[in-house]
Amino acid sequence: MTTPCGCPEHERATGMTRRGLLGRALAVGAAGAFGGLAADTLSTSLAFADSGYQGDVLVVLSLRGGFDGLNVVVPHGDPNYYLARPQIGVPRSMLLGADVMFGLHPAMAPLLPFWQAGTLGAVHAVGQPNPTRSHFQAMEEMERAAAGTSLRTGWLDRMLGVNGATSPFNGVAVGSAMTPRAFAGPTPDLSVRSLDDFALSGEAAGRPMAATLRALYDDAPPAMATPAAAVDSALATTAALRSAGYTPANGAVYPDSELGAALRDVARLVKAKVGLMAATVDFGDWDFHENIGTPVKGQRLHDHLADVAAALAAFAADLGPTGLAGVTLLTLSEFGRRVAENGSRGADHGHGNAMLLLGGGVRGGRVHGRWPGLAPAQLVGGDLAGTTDYRAVIAEILQRRCGLGDINAVFPGVTAAGLGLVTPLSGRAGVGPTMSTTLPTPTG
Amino acid sequence: MTKHSTSRRNVLTGAAAAGLGVLGATRLLGRPVTGAPAGGAAMNGAAGVAALTPSAAPLTPSATPLTPSAAPAGTAAAAGLPTASANTTGTTLASGLVDADPLTHLLRRATYGATPESLTEVRTLGAAAWIERQLDPAAIADPVCDDLLTRLPMARMTITQVRGEVTAGRMVKYGWEAMYQVGYAAVARAAWSRRQLFEVMVDFWSNHLNVTCPFDQGWDNRPDYDRAVIRPHTLGRFADMLKASAKHPAMLNYLDNRSSTKTRPNENYARELMELHTVGLIHTEDDVQNAARLLTGLTTDTNNGLYRYSSTSHAVGAVKVLGFSHANSTAGGGEAAAMAMLDHLASHPATAARLARKLCVRFVADDPPQPLVDRLAAVYLANGTAIKPVLRELFRSAEFAAAAGGKVRTPYEGVIATIRALGLAPEQKTVSNPGWHGLRSLYWMVDSLGQAPMAWHPPNGYPDVAAAWASPAGLLGRWNENLNLAAGWWPKQLTRPASMLAHLAGPLPATYGGLVDALTRRLLGVVVAERHRTALAAFYGKTPGSALRATDAAATWAFPYLVALILDSPYFQAR
Repeated sequence: MTTPCGCPEHERATGMTRRGLLGRALAVGAAGAFGGLAADTLSTSLAFADSGYQGDVLVVLSLRGGFDGLNVVVPHGDPNYYLARPQIGVPRSMLLGADVMFGLHPAMAPLLPFWQAGTLGAVHAVGQPNPTRSHFQAMEEMERAAAGTSLRTGWLDRMLGVNGATSPFNGVAVGSAMTPRAFAGPTPDLSVRSLDDFALSGEAAGRPMAATLRALYDDAPPAMATPAAAVDSALATTAALRSAGYTPANGAVYPDSELGAALRDVARLVKAKVGLMAATVDFGDWDFHENIGTPVKGQRLHDHLADVAAALAAFAADLGPTGLAGVTLLTLSEFGRRVAENGSRGADHGHGNAMLLLGGGVRGGRVHGRWPGLAPAQLVGGDLAGTTDYRAVIAEILQRRCGLGDINAVFPGVTAAGLGLVTPLSGRAGVGPTMSTTLPTPTG
Repeated sequence: MTKHSTSRRNVLTGAAAAGLGVLGATRLLGRPVTGAPAGGAAMNGAAGVAALTPSAAPLTPSATPLTPSAAPAGTAAAAGLPTASANTTGTTLASGLVDADPLTHLLRRATYGATPESLTEVRTLGAAAWIERQLDPAAIADPVCDDLLTRLPMARMTITQVRGEVTAGRMVKYGWEAMYQVGYAAVARAAWSRRQLFEVMVDFWSNHLNVTCPFDQGWDNRPDYDRAVIRPHTLGRFADMLKASAKHPAMLNYLDNRSSTKTRPNENYARELMELHTVGLIHTEDDVQNAARLLTGLTTDTNNGLYRYSSTSHAVGAVKVLGFSHANSTAGGGEAAAMAMLDHLASHPATAARLARKLCVRFVADDPPQPLVDRLAAVYLANGTAIKPVLRELFRSAEFAAAAGGKVRTPYEGVIATIRALGLAPEQKTVSNPGWHGLRSLYWMVDSLGQAPMAWHPPNGYPDVAAAWASPAGLLGRWNENLNLAAGWWPKQLTRPASMLAHLAGPLPATYGGLVDALTRRLLGVVVAERHRTALAAFYGKTPGSALRATDAAATWAFPYLVALILDSPYFQAR
């Protein structure tokens, strides 16, 4: 190894070849006991530690910026909807999968088969216990999810902790170099921009980069040591995944977007059985104060939503019925938008909102929740009231689908919604909800 | 609107870490600073802190730190970076990671990273005079950066000039070239301007009054926002910057005030004006609605893209906002009334407290000492929202002096610090490169780490605490980019020292330990802990005592790996 070009990295180091990384990272990882985590993911093949977790993989899709639930899961049966939104309301004739009260925005078309098959559903008029119209405070509180307490961890960190997570692959943030607030806390987790670029440049036989870095970070402050440990313990697994390659199943075609790429990686992690319990994906830019647009191609809300629909449809198709049976995906957004449109053909920050649920255990094809109505007197400060705490929705999923017994440990003081959102894990077929208020009552 | 408009980057980012400020201290400060006196470890030089670094090798003081060319052959220690105080026993590590020299601490905080030139300058002038010099950027000659910026003319164009480029056929309407040039220019200035504190503060204000760049409606106005709003007021009065931002088409587009009307006010700008730009979350919804009404009429002229006050769009009628009240009785007087409200908000004690804290987070600690925040807030108010007096008070404070090593470089700061530490210089113009293709690559490099300058989508600006950036993907990314830069793989266009080995380590040391020491002194200013010296030598399968020959891989093709590992280490990531 004395020639200058003996190294594989002629170009960008992040585009390095797989061979050196793969062989080396596995060996390096096997030798390490860094953070006590490495051993979990080490093997010379795609074999991963079995945490014993039997529940669904929970996928949290964060629609940051204030998702306009009123224009996506449209309450067309509420006459006040069209009064409040004369210019931006979605016409009844264009809605998909409509019942007497609700219908879906036409950009949701790729998801209509799943809605009709009952694996996609929605919950409406979901809110936070202490509403705020600040994006930043609302996101902070939504991900801390412990109103009225001094807890500082994030709810996914607590959920992973209760589930006994020990490996960074138990909780993975996909698609961003930053880890969401919901993962903040002591339980290990991982962030990957993409699985394929999660490789340590320079690592090769005779160049033990990872081992050297492990030594250099042996006594670093937590803000550095924690992610370093996660990287160290994850490299072998990502190398193995990269080596194995990935082709989506069932002819699924993900949209050529960051969201599509991220959900593709989530599906990949699900199928590789790396121990995934929870994954997060962020898809922002929903803050449509101006020009929400009509529900046709080329308009803002339409196109943004179309990306979501295409990516989710590909994700569900890729997983197939069997894979989807072990996954529950939910969407969150820090708040909904004001019921009345503003003078800019947009809507300002509001409160009550819709969540989407996708998964084999979802009781879909319908809108769950208690509809508070859109008449002026039924609004709270001009906003759709939040009649169901979003945490109660998640709690029901955690209890029924993720085998979580102690909801208090994740959401202090919260009781599961009991809306019959999902079937119990143990008896998927034919088991009805214990309590259901799923069909809304039109008002007016 | 379209602060969140679809763009080529980071649609996924959202504001994931928006709330992480509260966690910063918890995570970062989990490591006890053993033995460090509560205040002034750095200021006191070796006194009381020598015990922090039992494993650090002795280091001979030198008058020519970080200047290998001045190091006599065979005395690698002369290339090192001793404390400026009367420390005769060795370089000490404040917080275990950085040296205890108050001047290098100052450079780590007030610049994008020390260089031999900046060290010489600060040692020659002393801290106080260096700060004064930096606070008068116009008096600092900056030929290298000036030359570089001539290659990015659109970065400094007015709205009319950008539109003129379209008229002249040099750019398509709505093209993003001008906005990208703003980003490239920011990287250039961070890396190579000698007005370092000024550029750090430009970055600070660009985040505080964030108008994401690029964004759809910024195609003609975003360069002017940088040119006319942020840079002229960066070391001026905040009230002036705030008022300039309120009337700038970039902000008016980004936060939608341009389309706010008297019948149906758009609350977006009014809300963020209070929550983010000024007082913070102490306002009520009534305040938002009052402010939104008063701000109606501040709009843009769609014919030429310029600011315009439209009295016909202005909502008259008395307003009350956080102690400010105005009759607002005439449409023609709406603009003046709005400016009076902005003056009130800029001078509000809550604004003073927020800005003081934010400056402390930037320069002192993720969870800064409240007494310092309080003092800075008072200075801000006593000086009519002027920034310079606040910075003077900050940098001369005991709290600042005691904070060495307690911050972690963000991805952007890390990449720029690497460029500066390696001595990479701007690219040359060539037949195929107009002189900015390397800069463009650097821009995309920091973009891939999630922190291209000014490119944060939401209006709160990039987070500035370690916890927000403490992610596996982020750390791995910066490790990989350090190797790209150290090895010269990407970008290829930057001008590199003829011999990186000679440039960084001086004459070839006799041993692997000597090589490690020479590099860490140069790049980190310290000799690292013995176990880390051992680990770095072990990268080559050697021990610190192993003889180093000129033909060894470590001295030839594999040298960049060692450089990258040192830049990857916690020692360099701390600031």
